[in-house]
Amino acid sequence: MKQRFISSVQIILQLALTTVGLTGQSYPGKPQIIRCRSLEKETFSCWWKPGSDGGRPNNYTLFYSKDSEEKIYECPDYLTSGPNSCYFDKNHTNPWTTYIITVMATNEIGSNSSDPQHVDVTSIVQPDAPVNLSLETNTSANMSYLWAKWSPPPLADASSNSHEYHYELRLKPEEKEEWETVPVGTQTHYEVTSLQAGAKYVVQVRCMLDLGEWSEWSSERSIQIPKERLPPEKPTIIKCRSPEKETFTCWWKPASDGGLSTSHTLLYSKEGEEKVYECPDYKTAGPNSCYFDKKHTSFWTIYNITVRATNEMGSNVSDPHYVDVTYIVQPDPPVNITLELKKSIKRKPYLVLTWSPPPLADVRSGWLTLEYELRLKPEEGEEWETIFVGQQTQCKMFSLNPGKRYIVQIHCKPDHHGLWSEWSPEMYIEIPTDFRVKDMVVWIIVGVLSSLICLIMSWIMILKGYRMMAFILPPVPGPKIKGIDTHLLETGKSDELLSALGCHGFPPTSDCEELLIEYLEVEDSEDQQLMPNHDTPSKNIKIILKETDSDSGRGSCDSPSLLPVKCRESRGLPSALQAQDVRANEKKGGKGSWEAQCTASEQKTLPCSSESAKSCTWLAAQLPSNQPAMFAYHSAVEAFKITLNTTNMNTSPVLVRNEENHQSLYPIAETVYDDVEKISEMENSKTDQTTVQQHNGKSPFLNPKLMDYVEVHKVRQDEEPALLLKHKENSRKTKKCTVPGTNKEYTKVSTVVDHHILVLLPDQRTQNTPVPQEPVAETSQNPRQSQAEKNTGYSTTAPSDSRRDTSGSDYMDPSSFMPSFK
Amino acid sequence: TKEGVTSLPICPNGSVNCQLSLEELFDRAVKLSHYIHFLSSEMFNEFDERYAQGRGFIAKAVNSCHTASLTTPEDKEQAQQIHHEDLLNLILGVLRSWNDPLIHLASEVQRIKEAPETILWKAVEIEEQNKRLLEGMEKIVGRVHSGEVENDIYTPWDGLPSLQLADEDSRLFAFYNLLHCLRRDSHKIDNYLKVLKCRLIHDNNC
Repeated sequence: MKQRFISSVQIILQLALTTVGLTGQSYPGKPQIIRCRSLEKETFSCWWKPGSDGGRPNNYTLFYSKDSEEKIYECPDYLTSGPNSCYFDKNHTNPWTTYIITVMATNEIGSNSSDPQHVDVTSIVQPDAPVNLSLETNTSANMSYLWAKWSPPPLADASSNSHEYHYELRLKPEEKEEWETVPVGTQTHYEVTSLQAGAKYVVQVRCMLDLGEWSEWSSERSIQIPKERLPPEKPTIIKCRSPEKETFTCWWKPASDGGLSTSHTLLYSKEGEEKVYECPDYKTAGPNSCYFDKKHTSFWTIYNITVRATNEMGSNVSDPHYVDVTYIVQPDPPVNITLELKKSIKRKPYLVLTWSPPPLADVRSGWLTLEYELRLKPEEGEEWETIFVGQQTQCKMFSLNPGKRYIVQIHCKPDHHGLWSEWSPEMYIEIPTDFRVKDMVVWIIVGVLSSLICLIMSWIMILKGYRMMAFILPPVPGPKIKGIDTHLLETGKSDELLSALGCHGFPPTSDCEELLIEYLEVEDSEDQQLMPNHDTPSKNIKIILKETDSDSGRGSCDSPSLLPVKCRESRGLPSALQAQDVRANEKKGGKGSWEAQCTASEQKTLPCSSESAKSCTWLAAQLPSNQPAMFAYHSAVEAFKITLNTTNMNTSPVLVRNEENHQSLYPIAETVYDDVEKISEMENSKTDQTTVQQHNGKSPFLNPKLMDYVEVHKVRQDEEPALLLKHKENSRKTKKCTVPGTNKEYTKVSTVVDHHILVLLPDQRTQNTPVPQEPVAETSQNPRQSQAEKNTGYSTTAPSDSRRDTSGSDYMDPSSFMPSFK
Repeated sequence: TKEGVTSLPICPNGSVNCQLSLEELFDRAVKLSHYIHFLSSEMFNEFDERYAQGRGFIAKAVNSCHTASLTTPEDKEQAQQIHHEDLLNLILGVLRSWNDPLIHLASEVQRIKEAPETILWKAVEIEEQNKRLLEGMEKIVGRVHSGEVENDIYTPWDGLPSLQLADEDSRLFAFYNLLHCLRRDSHKIDNYLKVLKCRLIHDNNC
């Protein structure tokens, strides 16, 4: 219930408010009396501020009563003092009375009255500001005076003009904040002295009756106080400049003239002359300057220049300025600047800048030599890049960022003394981005083309896929057995047969099979090849053969018949590469060539041992002719190179050793006998080192195959004496290699197949287990030291062809040796 | 320079009359004179900064170069109007006039209190290079001159005592003045040589 009541009350209130609000009508607001003021103590006026009008026209009525009377009067004059005011004229004004004044606003709805205001006429006196202020200055005896005059404030009642006002004057220099106020008294003029010469003064006056308040300040008047009459101050020579090393101009800053007209004179004397001259031309270079034309310009002469400022009071002379025109040359900026974008061969854009010396400068005669400097920056860049270009008038800028807009400026300077010119106007150049895009296009085209080629290649591969398959996974051929049969049957030894078969016993690797197959294919030519070294078409080999008579025991490795054996060996011992090492060591005394052959043949084994079936087969196929063999050799060498290159050859001893080996092989392949000799010499000299290094041979840098190969080689060297012995035995059999058997174990291993072929029976242990390299290396050291002797021995003995062949076979059998070292 | 390269074939090994082209001679002379002036200018500036600040030497230095008696071209027109042989002779005269003072300068400058190394070596270097330039100029003059070479242009220098004055201020001024004159004359020579080179070699179209 309560709530209902309250809400209903609210509604009623709101309704009432809205009705009021809607009609917008109410009784008027309270007016307010602002002030009452008497200008001259005889009349006064009051002003009020109306309150809100309540939406209706209001009437305002002013009522007043006097403190001595009960009676209430209405305002006698609403008009004289303007709207919302009431003027009490003389008749209504009594200075001895206090007036109580209220203003009532009335409209149709009601009325409202202001608070009453008590007014004592004497206390509200404030005259208007004085008028007609005028200023004058006067100078006498070099002193300045300011003469100010004004009139008293005008009154509404013109009749009553007898009032006596007191005046105040205030003044200040125009630029200052603080006023200086001067009491003037009742006069309406004033003379100010002790003024600041040259300043502009602002002046105001105000007035006051004997009682009451000061009037407002009158409106401002200002006046310029003339400067003192003094001789001018010192002028200053600002600078002298020669734009082209032929004429020059000097400028000065005029002295302050003290308000008097001042003239300036430039005087100069030249070194070596007593006479003082006046400036020849004040006009050409503008005000406050002096232009010295060619006739008046000397070089390597000091000018003593002064400027004299003169007015009626006197003159003043600047400090002397010493000028040697040689040192004040400042040319104009270069002109005719062109920017041109060009493309280099690589399609990179570069900027060609050209410019000309400033037109005034006579560069051609050699009298003036200019040097240039340019600067540029990307438009949004902060820092300039400055480039000194010397005396050239062109410059090429490379490595600009494409897609950016560059600002370029150039300035110049005499070659020795003088100042840089102003910078030339800014030149803009935009480096296009399309160059890059073009590059991209090129690259995309290249990419597409190359991928096309790849596709074609792979397509061909697929087309010939069956061939590839045959290479990689050849069918187990009957001929294989056949081939073995021929060899083994010829030799008639069952052991070899077994060994050959042993190859198959291993987990069937493509290498072996391929080898065998190839071998079979090649078989026909085998006979020819059995003596390959003698007839080898390759020059290398021939040379080598002639030169190498020694080393009968070793036999040549190249005989193709060895291949199957090698293959087997390679499986057991991953690499035949070790033979290379031997060769390197043995090269002394020109044997290198001989060994080269050996290496060549042995190299062929390399691919075998390596797992790439391709190379292996390729080698075998090539064997019939020696040249292909050499080719294979090359490839092996290259392989070597690659491995070497991947490691830094010179840094570690291991690598050095490799390098040696490699070198020894490589030159041989190249048929450069001299090199081989050199290398062999080097190697001999390094034998100690190399032996040590061989230990390191196992380091991870080396291809395991290489490692193995090296080790085997060493082994063989060690065993050479034993080899020789065996060789003798073998030699009886003619053209057969014996396996060097210093160790008893080796003897077991070696077998001779056919006339040319040596088949080695590896120890079963060794075949499957990788050969421990360390022991081999150690053993190899000792034999090496003695090797030189052995080598010489070889060289002296004339090796028979058969020996070579057999020796090769010996090398090939490293796998069998290895176990013995264990 | 290009000309130097092309002139090489003219001078095969062992040829008797092998000689540099005039252009090559001028090129070298200009390079030398440029270098000498660079050095002397640097030396003057260093000295000025270090010893002459606030002493007003420049006012005193007016009209006291010992080579002032040699009347040399004072502006471009004079330099262009003077016959090149006369100008060459003048250059020779100025160079010769500096032989003596440069020798003394190189030795006396060592005595300046706390003379920086840069001033010392420049004095020595200028003295050497001046001799070289003199040699080169004599070659050029020998090549260019139609008549006899005048050897007598030369102004003596009597400034040694002033370099050895006891009064430091006077002594320093003597050095200042000498360096000031050296800078001026080396610039003169460099400027004349460049003008001559453009005139004789490039036909006033450098």
